[in-house]
Amino acid sequence: MLPGLRVPGNRVSRRAISYWTARAVLSSAVVVLAEIICAAATSFSTAWQVVLVVTVVVLAAHALIMPRWRYSVHRWEVTDQALYTRSGWFSVHWRIAPINRIQTIDSHRSLGERIFGLANVTATTASAAGPVRIHGLDKDLADLLLDQLAVATGQTPGDAT
Amino acid sequence: MTTAGTTGAAADDQVPGLDGPLGSVGSVGSVGSVGSVGSVGSVVVGAGRGDTGWLRLSPRSLVVRPLTDLVRLVPLLAGLLLLHSGTGGRLLWGLLAAGTAVVTGLIHWATTRYRITDERVYVRRGLVNTKLLSVARDRIRTVDVTAHLLHRVLGVCRVSIGTGRNDLRPGESFHLDGLTRADAETLRITLLASAIPSGLAGLADDVEGPSAAGRRGGGAEADRDLVRLRLSWLRFAPLTMTGLVVVGVLFGAVIQIINATDVTLTSTGLVKMLVSDFASLDIVQRVLVGSAVAIVFYVVVALIGYVAVYWNFRLTEHGADTVRVTRGLLSLRATTISLNRLRGVEISEPMLLRSARGARCIAITTGLHVGRGAEHEGSVLVPPAPRELAQRVTAQLLGVPEELCAGPLVRHGPAAFRRRLFRALLAAAVIIGGIILATRARHGPDWVWIGSFGFLPAAVAVAIDRYRNLGHRLTDGWLVTRTGSFSRRRNIIGTDAIIGWRIHQTLFQRRQGLMTLTATTAAGQQHYSLRDVPVEIGLAVADQATGDLLTPFRQH
Repeated sequence: MLPGLRVPGNRVSRRAISYWTARAVLSSAVVVLAEIICAAATSFSTAWQVVLVVTVVVLAAHALIMPRWRYSVHRWEVTDQALYTRSGWFSVHWRIAPINRIQTIDSHRSLGERIFGLANVTATTASAAGPVRIHGLDKDLADLLLDQLAVATGQTPGDAT
Repeated sequence: MTTAGTTGAAADDQVPGLDGPLGSVGSVGSVGSVGSVGSVGSVVVGAGRGDTGWLRLSPRSLVVRPLTDLVRLVPLLAGLLLLHSGTGGRLLWGLLAAGTAVVTGLIHWATTRYRITDERVYVRRGLVNTKLLSVARDRIRTVDVTAHLLHRVLGVCRVSIGTGRNDLRPGESFHLDGLTRADAETLRITLLASAIPSGLAGLADDVEGPSAAGRRGGGAEADRDLVRLRLSWLRFAPLTMTGLVVVGVLFGAVIQIINATDVTLTSTGLVKMLVSDFASLDIVQRVLVGSAVAIVFYVVVALIGYVAVYWNFRLTEHGADTVRVTRGLLSLRATTISLNRLRGVEISEPMLLRSARGARCIAITTGLHVGRGAEHEGSVLVPPAPRELAQRVTAQLLGVPEELCAGPLVRHGPAAFRRRLFRALLAAAVIIGGIILATRARHGPDWVWIGSFGFLPAAVAVAIDRYRNLGHRLTDGWLVTRTGSFSRRRNIIGTDAIIGWRIHQTLFQRRQGLMTLTATTAAGQQHYSLRDVPVEIGLAVADQATGDLLTPFRQH
């Protein structure tokens, strides 16, 4: 997508699409519900009806498009030297962190991620601005990656600053 | 790296320059006497209470804590005494507070100890929850010695050790409040052992004669002044925000006193007289008088603030690899920065300062965090001063050609300019729209909304300035970035301090062939960006700056 920069090798789990969709639907539902309550207070005036229809259409489009778009963007790759990721959808982020600068690696699983059998892996460096996150990984793959990175970072001496 | 299992190794450590031979660190079994042991540097060492080698704060610090706590209560106490409005209950509370202050001071002194080994520094404090902080000595970036007025009266000071990690977490910062001057100086020299022990330059006027550390320095080479405050720099004082901060603090103090003493200012004679005089003026006179008073007040406060903070400012070179910043009128501050840990320098020019051809410099280093009040002050390398001087000193400190600190940069091209123009015009349009709506709604005079169109040329001017300031440059292991208009900053960072890259591209940037390239680092603001740089140029910069990091991911 960025001319001159290679696409990272691996995609995230396909189940991430379902997870992101579920998340989008849930948060949309909250918004729509709030609007319905407000609209009911005005006994569904025309203005509120328009607002309701527009938000439902927009949020539905978001829930349909965002997860697929995101899935096509999210990539990751670990080499001997670096951790390289691409994420985002509307705006795209690339992150590169050298393995020998990584200080901590941890994985986190929210309730939603657990339902879909997913996990995310975060690698932090000495820079507060430098954490590299891989979202929507398959759970088992995340564990494997965690071990692999732990070994790789353990091999480099120095204080990583 | 010492761990709990290998405390035996630490037993051989000696404290150079301190207490001669030291006892061994207690065995792991003696942890029992310590409540709960926390650690900063991921190290827990069994340290029994009977251990030797642990040093205490000066007994004089016993006075410092209770007194500082009491000083905070002064407005309240003054109010009680002046107005006789205090009931018995209030007085009791005051006495109780004073008593608590004394007891906590005593506990603080009794429980705080520190110990220096060849490899690590330990600080232990706390009565119920004992906290043991430790840090490897090679991680120490800066040593900051401060002494406020009370400290100076008692001849003690506060030492903070900047390690670059955990400094931000409360309770885990490395500081010792209440060391004697001589102890502090010894500590400073020991910790930055590579420094030439000539020291005492900054606090010399306060140290009792030629002190121990001074004599030990003996024939050491003299410090070289890089910057020394000149009185003519006072002209820059009203041009920075420091004055505003002081005004804010003053205002807060006044409010506090009023609250504590129940004085109603408006009922006092003087204020009444002033208010009635002011009310008799017509509107134009009121505006003129009001702004004149405000400006004079601001300038005076700004001057006082500048003098209080930067009085006697000196940036001195200590030997080959440390520099020392000393300054202050009432509160003294001496910061020692290890030059190997100096990752770069930020030259910042707030708009007013820039218009007077002034600038100031801030160190980009791992021990001192920028933008955080007191810490920020600790990293000032050059106070608001002539720009040429700031640039020259930066070049000297970093050992780079002066052209890097002053010279032209690579601009980011017409697309970057269009983005700046679009954003500035959008902001102006929003403001104008708001003004038009407001005047319509309030039936205000037409000249208000017509006049608001003046924002458009102003926006264009800002956009042009922002574009002209935007730029970068990469030469000989130094990455220079510059951004901003209202506050222009040029950051010069060593490429070896870059520990990762972030690239960010929005949909709009993608269409314009731009991206934002951010270098992440452990120093200073942690991230430094090249905003809206053309993709090809940005990638080339990242490629060249960190050799093999980005290259494997390039595609030609």
